Amino acid sequence: MTRTDQPAATGADRERKRGGAGMAAGPKPGRAALGWLASNEAGLLMITLLFVLLFSQLTAGFTSLFNLYALTRVLAIDAVIGFSMMVVLVTGGLNLAAGAIGVCGAMAAGWFMQALGLPVWLALPLALCVGALLGALNGALTVWMDVHSFVVTLATMSIFFGTMILLTEARAFSDLPPGYVALAKTRYGFWSGLLVVTAIVGVLLWLLFHRTTLGRQILIAGANPRAAAMSGVPAGLTVIVCHALSGGLAALAGLMLTSRNGAALPSMAGQLGMDWLLPAFLAPILGGTLLTGGTVSVAGTFLGAALVTVLTNGLLQLQVGEFWIQAFLGAILLIAVALDRLRAVWIERRRVR
Amino acid sequence: MSDQGVTMPRAVLSGLRRHEWLGLAAVLVLGIVAMAATQPAFLSTYNIYIMLTAFSLSVLIALSQMVILAIGQLNLSVGGLGGLAAVIFAGAMDVLGLPVPLAILAGLAVGLLGGLINGIVTWRTGLNAFIVTLATLSIFKGVNIGLTEAQPFYGIAEPVKWFGNARLGALPALLLVSGPVVILTGVILARTMFGRHLLAVGGNQQAAALSGVGVGRIIVLAHVASGGLAAMAGMLAVARLQLGQPTIGDDWLIVSFAAPVIGGAVLAGGHVSVIGTCLGVAIITLINNALVLLRVDPFAVQLLLGFLILFAVGLGRVRSGR
Repeated sequence: MTRTDQPAATGADRERKRGGAGMAAGPKPGRAALGWLASNEAGLLMITLLFVLLFSQLTAGFTSLFNLYALTRVLAIDAVIGFSMMVVLVTGGLNLAAGAIGVCGAMAAGWFMQALGLPVWLALPLALCVGALLGALNGALTVWMDVHSFVVTLATMSIFFGTMILLTEARAFSDLPPGYVALAKTRYGFWSGLLVVTAIVGVLLWLLFHRTTLGRQILIAGANPRAAAMSGVPAGLTVIVCHALSGGLAALAGLMLTSRNGAALPSMAGQLGMDWLLPAFLAPILGGTLLTGGTVSVAGTFLGAALVTVLTNGLLQLQVGEFWIQAFLGAILLIAVALDRLRAVWIERRRVR
Repeated sequence: MSDQGVTMPRAVLSGLRRHEWLGLAAVLVLGIVAMAATQPAFLSTYNIYIMLTAFSLSVLIALSQMVILAIGQLNLSVGGLGGLAAVIFAGAMDVLGLPVPLAILAGLAVGLLGGLINGIVTWRTGLNAFIVTLATLSIFKGVNIGLTEAQPFYGIAEPVKWFGNARLGALPALLLVSGPVVILTGVILARTMFGRHLLAVGGNQQAAALSGVGVGRIIVLAHVASGGLAAMAGMLAVARLQLGQPTIGDDWLIVSFAAPVIGGAVLAGGHVSVIGTCLGVAIITLINNALVLLRVDPFAVQLLLGFLILFAVGLGRVRSGR
């Protein structure tokens, strides 16, 4: 598996001998397979637990069963939003349209169920397909126009959201099947049932990136598109696949949010769906997915989302005032990317030696 | 739309390459003639005033993004910073009761400082400006919402309100700010050492550094200029709205990219055009106005802007291709 990148092989072996740290410590090609990175997830987990401990001591409400249930429900959705961005970051690109696609997917599901009267088992996969299709369009445009996905998804964010508003006339679908709305209300103890969806998605993504040829091709093409193309990897195709996957995951997050809200709302991700951008970037970057592409950490993204959710929830419990939360999260992102940069420099130095 | 660009005759293409803004000017003139012929209200003094007001504001937003595009970076925080400067400007008058000149200075200082932070963080860490400005966008917006608690400031000084509504025939007073700023930006880019260094850094950072350009200084200064322009746009928005809305700047992002890109800015940096950007803003203003006069859903504007960005980028590829 690590034959693709000789220097990394020793790193991966070393990592495995140390016993690794959870899912993401598995063997993978490229820079990610260096020992130090393995502790990133462990570090995130410890910081998160530390904050859980801190907030449970400082506030009365944090550890209440209902709050933990609400927290895990937000976490389940935000982690999927993070996955949606993660799978494009792997290619060295990004997806500004994630929020817009998420809302489009949710509104499509609402339309299928309320206007067409389709059953839930048919409407939800169809809505996911809508998301994947919009994502694939992003990928195809990126490859075909040969420009950075930033500008493509900036344009399509506007196009997707504008089209959705014109088609729905900005009206919500609130008459959804009770079975679907009940999905988000399932709970096991204080765990939200939505976490099951997130966990399944996470395992599938991990399998994709670490156990399939396609996944390895995506990682290689993300790390160095030219070298990948020369060694016969269809680099353009991997970009389209990743964008399609990102669209599908965004739609899934939209469906989960719709189930939680009990209605498909055009405004659920803010103007042009841009309210999702911050959680979308925070989770993977905190989790150690490099902006330059070629690395991925599914467990890291989940833990990144967990840290953000715990911090947001805890700060709200501390009565910091919800108006200041956004400023806090922005500052966290800034610190996270600075650390991300440090790590990238560090890995680069290790590779040169 | 893009197919049209690909099959465009060679002669037209080479003409476009030499005077890239001529095509835009033609599109603009065509649009104006079409609107004037079909909509009698279009050429009324009041409608022209409305369009020029929108233009005065949008052109500053577009220039704020353009100076960053010039160095080959992106600035997502244009709207966040403009909005923060706007509420600081309004709050200085409403809450602190400062006189107008001091309030203007406060707003401008916020813009310059925010730009300085963007520039220094981008330069010192070597991070992608996209992610830095995404973070600072949240910080600026968060501070904005934290300070205002999402409520507008109403106590805007009378001279500011007057300025926001004053006009001479079809000419809004706001043009007194944006007109000189546009000309100044054009002159700086085309005629000064700083302007040429700016484009050199955008074109090829390493080559610029090797030929003795202080790359770090240029990057930081570009971000400071961008912040200042965003702050001016924010304060003009306060004057026009007659109140310090915390939502000012929320919808600037698409326009800020669309206008320079339509105007021929190359996203990789090193090539921007003030005339092109102005024409881009004018075309966007015209589309906006046309859709209002034709009573089309305002969200159709967003849709069209998206297509325009894709079209302009596609055209840019064709132009630079052969």
